[in-house]
Parts: sequence; structure tokens; C-alpha cells
Amino acid sequence: MNLFVMLAFPLLAALLCWRARTPGIASGATLASCIAVLVLAIDTAFAALRGGTVVGVEIAVAADALSALMLLLIAVVATGAAFFSRGYMQRMREGPARLWFYYLNFNLFVFSMLAVPLLVEPTLVWIFVELTTLCSAMLVGYENTREALEAAWKYVALSLMGAAIGLLGFLVLFAAMQAAGGGTYTWEGLVQAAPRMPPALIETAFLLVLVGFGTKVGLVPLHTWLPDAHSQAPSPVCAVLSGVETTVILYVILRMLPVLDAVPGVDLQLWTVSFGLLSVGVAAFLLIQVRDYKRMFAYSTVEHMGIILVAAGLGSAAANYSTVYQALTHTLTKSFCFYAAGAALLATGSRDILAQRGLIRRSPATGASLLIGGLAIAGAPPFAVFLSEFSIFRAGLAEGRYIAIGLLVLFIAIGFFAVMRHVNRMVFGAAAGAAEPFRLPASCAAVLVVAAALVIVSGLYLPPPLHELLQRAAARMAG
Amino acid sequence: MAERVLFNLLQVAVVMAFAPLASGVLARLKERVQSKRGPSVLQPYRDLWKLFHKDEAVSEDSTWIFRFTPYLVFVTPVFVVLLIPVLTSYPLAFAFMADMVGAGFVLALGGFFAALAAVDTANPYGPMGASRTRMVGFLAEPVFVIVFFTVSYVAGSTIPYIVQKQWVASASNFFAPSHVLLMAAFVMLILAEAGRIPVDSPEGHFELAMIEESKALEYSGRGAALMKWGGQMKFFVLMCVFLNVLVVPWGLADSQSVAEVLLAIPLVLAKIFVFILVLVVIESSLAKLRLFRISEFLGAAFITAVAAMITRVFAF
Amino acid sequence: MDPTLLLAVNALAGGLFLLCAFGIVTMRQVRGCLNLFIAQSLLLAASAFLLGAAFDSWHLVGVGIVNLIAKPFVIPWILRRMLHEEIYARREIDQAVNIPTSLLAALALVILGYFLTLPILEALDPASRLGNVAIGFAGLFLGAFTLAVRREAVPLLIGVLAMENGAFFAGIAMSRNLPFIVELAIASDGLILVFVVGVLTRMLHRRVGSTDVGALAALKEGEP
Repeated sequence: MNLFVMLAFPLLAALLCWRARTPGIASGATLASCIAVLVLAIDTAFAALRGGTVVGVEIAVAADALSALMLLLIAVVATGAAFFSRGYMQRMREGPARLWFYYLNFNLFVFSMLAVPLLVEPTLVWIFVELTTLCSAMLVGYENTREALEAAWKYVALSLMGAAIGLLGFLVLFAAMQAAGGGTYTWEGLVQAAPRMPPALIETAFLLVLVGFGTKVGLVPLHTWLPDAHSQAPSPVCAVLSGVETTVILYVILRMLPVLDAVPGVDLQLWTVSFGLLSVGVAAFLLIQVRDYKRMFAYSTVEHMGIILVAAGLGSAAANYSTVYQALTHTLTKSFCFYAAGAALLATGSRDILAQRGLIRRSPATGASLLIGGLAIAGAPPFAVFLSEFSIFRAGLAEGRYIAIGLLVLFIAIGFFAVMRHVNRMVFGAAAGAAEPFRLPASCAAVLVVAAALVIVSGLYLPPPLHELLQRAAARMAG
Repeated sequence: MAERVLFNLLQVAVVMAFAPLASGVLARLKERVQSKRGPSVLQPYRDLWKLFHKDEAVSEDSTWIFRFTPYLVFVTPVFVVLLIPVLTSYPLAFAFMADMVGAGFVLALGGFFAALAAVDTANPYGPMGASRTRMVGFLAEPVFVIVFFTVSYVAGSTIPYIVQKQWVASASNFFAPSHVLLMAAFVMLILAEAGRIPVDSPEGHFELAMIEESKALEYSGRGAALMKWGGQMKFFVLMCVFLNVLVVPWGLADSQSVAEVLLAIPLVLAKIFVFILVLVVIESSLAKLRLFRISEFLGAAFITAVAAMITRVFAF
Repeated sequence: MDPTLLLAVNALAGGLFLLCAFGIVTMRQVRGCLNLFIAQSLLLAASAFLLGAAFDSWHLVGVGIVNLIAKPFVIPWILRRMLHEEIYARREIDQAVNIPTSLLAALALVILGYFLTLPILEALDPASRLGNVAIGFAGLFLGAFTLAVRREAVPLLIGVLAMENGAFFAGIAMSRNLPFIVELAIASDGLILVFVVGVLTRMLHRRVGSTDVGALAALKEGEP
């Protein structure tokens, strides 16, 4: 029951936004629905810990531990972004008249993202993955400038191309299940039917899904839309897009891995790990020459998606744990980074790294957030991302994958230095121009504080229920 | 045996007699579609008659090629008629003289000499048109070859009669994806080789834009008549190959009785008439392509033919 | 009716489907591209009906009806309503890749698609080993190629829709028993897709003055 209510709240909020068309009601409704969704997601997580799988409708809507983790991540980031939007969007050039449209799309976007982990039939999942693209297209192009519309167009065109390839992948998957003797077409049913599936079909299906959904995740070489879209969108939307939407699509790819493992004679680990390493490597090198700090964070998303894919491809139980752990830490940290970037944009009005000198003098809160965010996402200790990456290294070395882990360490190190150099230039140094004091909007500052606290605390202490949830989710990844 | 030779000669006579009629019907229908009255369908016969009775004026600077070409252009389609199914579905006396590739070469021989003759007179428009014709020709060659090889891959032979039997034989061959792709490619080829819109404008009088017509510019009297008639017969032959082998292999005489063969004549003419209607629709709805776009047009025909071949090879 | 005859006519529909896919890659006029997409969708529906009759499956007939209503009629109607008439009168003057080269690349993609489907066809049950699967894959790749080479907005959208057509064309042969509600949902998803992209194109047209999205190349590394 919970699951349906969780889906209903954003829809209701969207309806309210559409009917009322005033910014106040729109933002209030959005906030209320996000908080409600957060509460329900925590509740579902606990239920999944207790009972195993929360079932809404048999074979259609259900949430196991992995889904519950995703729901939790979506809810946390959505709430943060909704709060941040209150302060941020007031300062936007667009003016308050169009804000209801922003919140309407925001709610529809949250609704479509929530539906992805909740549905267990692959083709229904596909439909909602495509809906995430369509609902966020208007958000990316919200600022209605030429660059924003170009970014939105590239985003939509490439994502829809990936979605069509993914559709064929799921149709081949269905044919594979028919060839295995039938059964219910859910993630569960697929794992059960897997031992009898013909290898050719399941391999083709997985490669199509990897390429197709990989486009939406931002895997190289299909990532070209990501820096544009994730930098031109308004910052709270960027936080949602980079922080959790790419992770949710990657979740769909991860759901196919237990099916692959159960089919005899199929070994696609090399493909997965190589694809992941390619993304990490290219992103690390692209990070060196980036000139816009929102694009920098976007490339960092590409890098982390690659890291998660590498961890998933390693295949052991420890690697599975580090996969979901990395997903968790990345979501929390990346959304914080984009909140910081949004604050910096409000402070200086420009996206250029070189124009940001001396941010710590201009606005201490913004400068500190950017510093913490940069350190955290680059993988510096004692932050959580460092811990999760370290656990990936350990799992990989235990498996004996020396080359893969060696390359991974190299690329992450390159990315680390690149991000640190950029953040250093932004935060420190002589402030260019008059340094008039800058006041962050109250809600933005509040979100920054809470998110920073989450980022710092998660590096030091992981609450036992969360740890348990991560372990259960990792177990689901192994089938 | 004697009947087969007789039927072969009958085929030649039918083609020679009705080729101008086909052109006349096409011209008149095109004009009617444009709400004009159009010339009489027998006008080409009257033109040929008039030209045969006129004097010839031959340039002093031309060589034997110029004088020899009209006869060659007239005779090469006649040779090809001996090889292809026009009235009967079983091979006739001279059917095994050459296969489809040979027939293609024979037609190309006529075109080659026509291009040479155009260069021969030192008229500036002649070589211009000849070079353009050669461009269209060499772009169309690969399409011809691929089409022929695909149909003979299916049929196991390159003789048109045997190929035609294969298509008639089974519905699965007829409806196969490669078949419809081949038909599309061959239609584009006919449009190119016969000098129809969108490749060339057959009624145009503007020499700078002529492709096919410029080959016959310098001729007069008997030479012009033979070139015209030869061109009309080549068009008729191409249509016969297309219709009788690829598209509608039915309606041809199966047995050796004279009555059946004579009955096949109106059926063939009816098939050609339907195709002429299709051509009229195509010609009236498209515009002439600019010269450098002809390569795109023929490139598309080539790709279609290769796609047909690939589809067939993969046995889809 | 005789199943072999139905399957034979289905193969004819497949051949014409491939021809339409080639045309969508190279057709310069926007209106012509849209008409080719309508033709392709009609062929998809026809194939669904033929396969439904051949395999005695009402399910496939339903799929055909859904596709027949949604794609050839509703989608062009939505596009016509949303976008200014002037957009349809355009033609692309220059392409990223010239037409003969793009045709050759399209052919190479078709061959690649055929190679990919060979192992798939072997793994399927004999009744499903139709040409549909290969042509569907080829149609998918050709649609993706359209997205790569075309510059105008509406042909790009048609490329995406052609990709989905290709995926479906393979799907009606391979995955015949997909639940009907899923097919219905995918079709309505297609409508939402067209709606959103139409809105985006309209915004682009208003802001930039043309729908030549190939000319939008402002976002690069050099720009802050």
C-alpha cells in the first residue's frame, strides 16, 4: 500500500501545481510531497529489512532491498532539491510566473524516477525510464536560453536513441525467456528462468541494454549529452539528475547482472569492467581541461558511474557491497556538490572556473561548501567516497584483478588532481573585483548545512540499519 | 524447332512494330495528365516515316563511326530481343546465345558507339552530352551487375528464361524482401538508362541540359530515324526485361501453339501499358535532378540493389 | 488463409519496411521524411496483422491496431498541430555526411545488423525465425544513423520513432506474447515522446528562429 501512496504524492503535487499556477502553492506542494515520500521511503526500507520484499501488486509493483535503497536515495535528493529550489529559483532570471511549470515538471520527474525501482517488469521499467527523460527535458531547458535548449535537445535526442536500443534489448530478453520455457517476466522470474536461456539471446540482450541504458547513464562514448545537460539545467535539477537519476538508470543495468550470472556459458564481466574503465579514464582526462565548474561535476558523475560499473562487474560479494555503497556515497556527495555549485553561481553569476577566484572571501559558506564538495567527490579521506572506492580496490585485489584495479587507481588519481586544482583555483586566491558580501537565501544555506553534515558524517559512521540495507541490497545483486 | 525460330522472329517483329507505339502512348499520357491534349499515339510512326524520306546531311569532319552508329544502335536492341522472354515463357531458338550479362554488354555497345559518334562531329554539344551519358552509364553499371547477379544467385542461372521460371515457381520467392528491393533498384535503373525524369528530360530542347538526346543531335534523315527507333526499342526492351522477368512473369505463352503466342502479344502490351501509367505518375510528380544529384539517385539504386543481395545471401 | 502465403506477404512488408528506413536516412525534405515514417508505420501494422493471422494470435492483431492508430495518424496529427507549417516545407541543404556516403554507411550498418541477428535466429524456436528480426535490427541501426547525420529537428525525431518501429518490427516476431497492456503503454509513451519533443522544438523555433539543430554547437569545452 505504501508503494502506491509513494507514487501518488508526487502526482498529486503535480496536479496542484498545474491547477494553482502560483509559485507559493507549487513549491509548498512539492516540498510536502517530497517529505511525505521521504518518510514513506524510510518506512519501506525498514519493511524491506524486516520482511524481505514489500509487495504492492504481485509481479508488477514490489520493492526489495535494492529497490528500497534506490527509493531512499531518490527521496533524500528530491527533498533536498525541493528545499534548495525555494531559495534558488527566486533569484533566477526567469521570474516567478513560470515557476509552477518548473515544479510541475519536478514532481513528474520525481514520480517517474520513483516508479523505476518499484516496477519489476522490465518493459514497464523501460516506459518509466523513458518518462524520466521526457519529464526532465523541460527542466534542462528551463532557462530558455539558446545553450539550455541545445543541451535539452542533445539530452532528449541521445536519451531517446538509447531508450530505443534498450527496448530492443528487453524484447530480446523476453524472447530469451520464452525460449527458456516461459515464466513471469519480472526480475525474479528472469533469474529463475536464466539457467535454461540460450546464451546468444541473453548476451545480445545484455549488450543492447548496456549500450542503450548506458547512454542515459552517461557511459563513454555515449556521454556527450551529459556535461551539457547537467550544467545548463538549474542547479537543484542538476543535483537530482547527476546525483540520483543516473544511478537509478544504472540500477536497471545492475538488475540484469544476476540474470547473466545464472546463465551457464556467459561471461560478460570483461565487457562490463572494460566499459566502466573506459568511462572512468575518459572522464578523468576530460576533467583536466574543463573550464566550467558545473561541467566539472558532470564529468565527475561520468567517472563515478564508470566506477560503479567496474565494481559491479567484478562480481564477488564484497564487490557487490562496495557497488551499492559507492552508489550511496556518490548520491549524497554529488547532490551536495551541485548545491554548492548552485550557491557559487548565485554568488558570482558565472559558470567559469577562472571567474570564481577567492570565493572563500566573497562568501565563506559557499567557498567552504565548494571545498568540502570538491574534496569529497574527488575521493579524499576521510570522506565517504574515499571509503567506498577503497572497498572497491580491496574487493578487486581479492579477486586478483590487478590490471583493472591498477587502471582504476590511476584514473581516479588523475581525476583527483584535476578536481583539486580547479577547486583550489575557485576557492582560494585573490578575489577578482569588489568583494561585496553575499547572502545566501535561507533555504539554500539550510540545505547546504544538512547535506554537508550528511557528507561528513557518512564518512565517519554508517548507522547499522543502513549497513544492513546495503548488505541486503548487495545480496539481491547476486541473485 | 522451326516454330521456335518463327516465334523468335515474331518477337523481333513485335518489338520493332510496337516500340514507337509505347513511346507515343507515354508522350500522350504525360501531356494528358498535364491537362493538355497531347500528340496522337501514332505520331512516332509518322515521324519515322518522315525521317526515312528525308535527305541525310553528314558532316565532312566525321568518320565512319558517325555513319556506322545508327545501324548499330538499331541492331543491338534487336539482338537483345532474341535473348529475352517477350512472348513465350520457354527458351526460343537463339535464347542461349548470350545470357543477361551478355545482353547488358550488347546494349552497352550501342550506347558506347552512340557516345563516340556524338564526339565524332566536333559539335560542341555532342561531347558534352556524351560525357554526361557516360557518367550516368558508369554509375548505372554496378546496379545492373548487382541486380543480375542477385537474380541469378536465386535462380542458379543467368539465362533470363530460367530466371523467370524461378520467380514464377514459388510465392515465397516473389514476395521475398530482396525481390521488392530489386524491383525498386531496377525501376530507378530504367529511369536512368532510358533518359526519363528525374534523370533527364526527354522533351527538352535545351542542349546545355541534354543527356540522352544530345547523342542524336547531329543526325538527319535515315540516320535520325534509325537512332530514334533504336532508342525506342531499347526502352521497350528494358521494360520487357523488367516486366517479364522480375515483376509479372505471367501471361506468357506456355505451349508451342501459334494461337497462344499471338494471344500473348496483347497481354504483353497490356503489361507495358500499366507500367507506362506508373512511369507517367513518376515523371509527372518529380522534377529533373540537377546533374550532380544524379550520382545520389544512382547511389541510392546501388544501395538498394546491394541490400537486396545481402538480404538474399543471408536467406531472410 | 494459408500461413505460408501470409508469411510470404509479410516478407514483402519487410522489404518495403527496409526501403522506407533507407529513405528516412536520405530524404532531404522534411515533409517527405514524415511521409516515409507514416508508410513505415503502416507496414509495421500490416506485418502485425499478417503475423497475427498466420499464428492465430489475437494479441498480435491488437498490437497491429494500436500501432495503426497511434503511429500513422495520431503522431503526425500532434506534430502538425504543434509545429508551425513552415517547418515542414524545409529541406536540408547540406548534411554532415553527403548522401552517397551516408547511403554506403547505412548499407554497412544493415550488414552489421544482419550479422548480429544470425546467432539470435539460431537460438529462437523455428516458428519465430522470420526475416522480421533481421529487418527490425537493421531498421533500429538505420534510425540511429539518421540521428547521427540529420540536421533538422523533425527528421531527428522521426529517426527516433523509426528506431522504435524497428525494435517493434523485430519484437512482433520474437516476443509475440508480451502482455498487451505493455504494448499499449509503450504506444502511449510514444505519444508523450512526440508531445514533449514537439514542445521542445517549438521552444527552439521561437528562441533560435530555425529548427536546424545541427547548427547548435555552442556548448564546447572552450565556452564558460
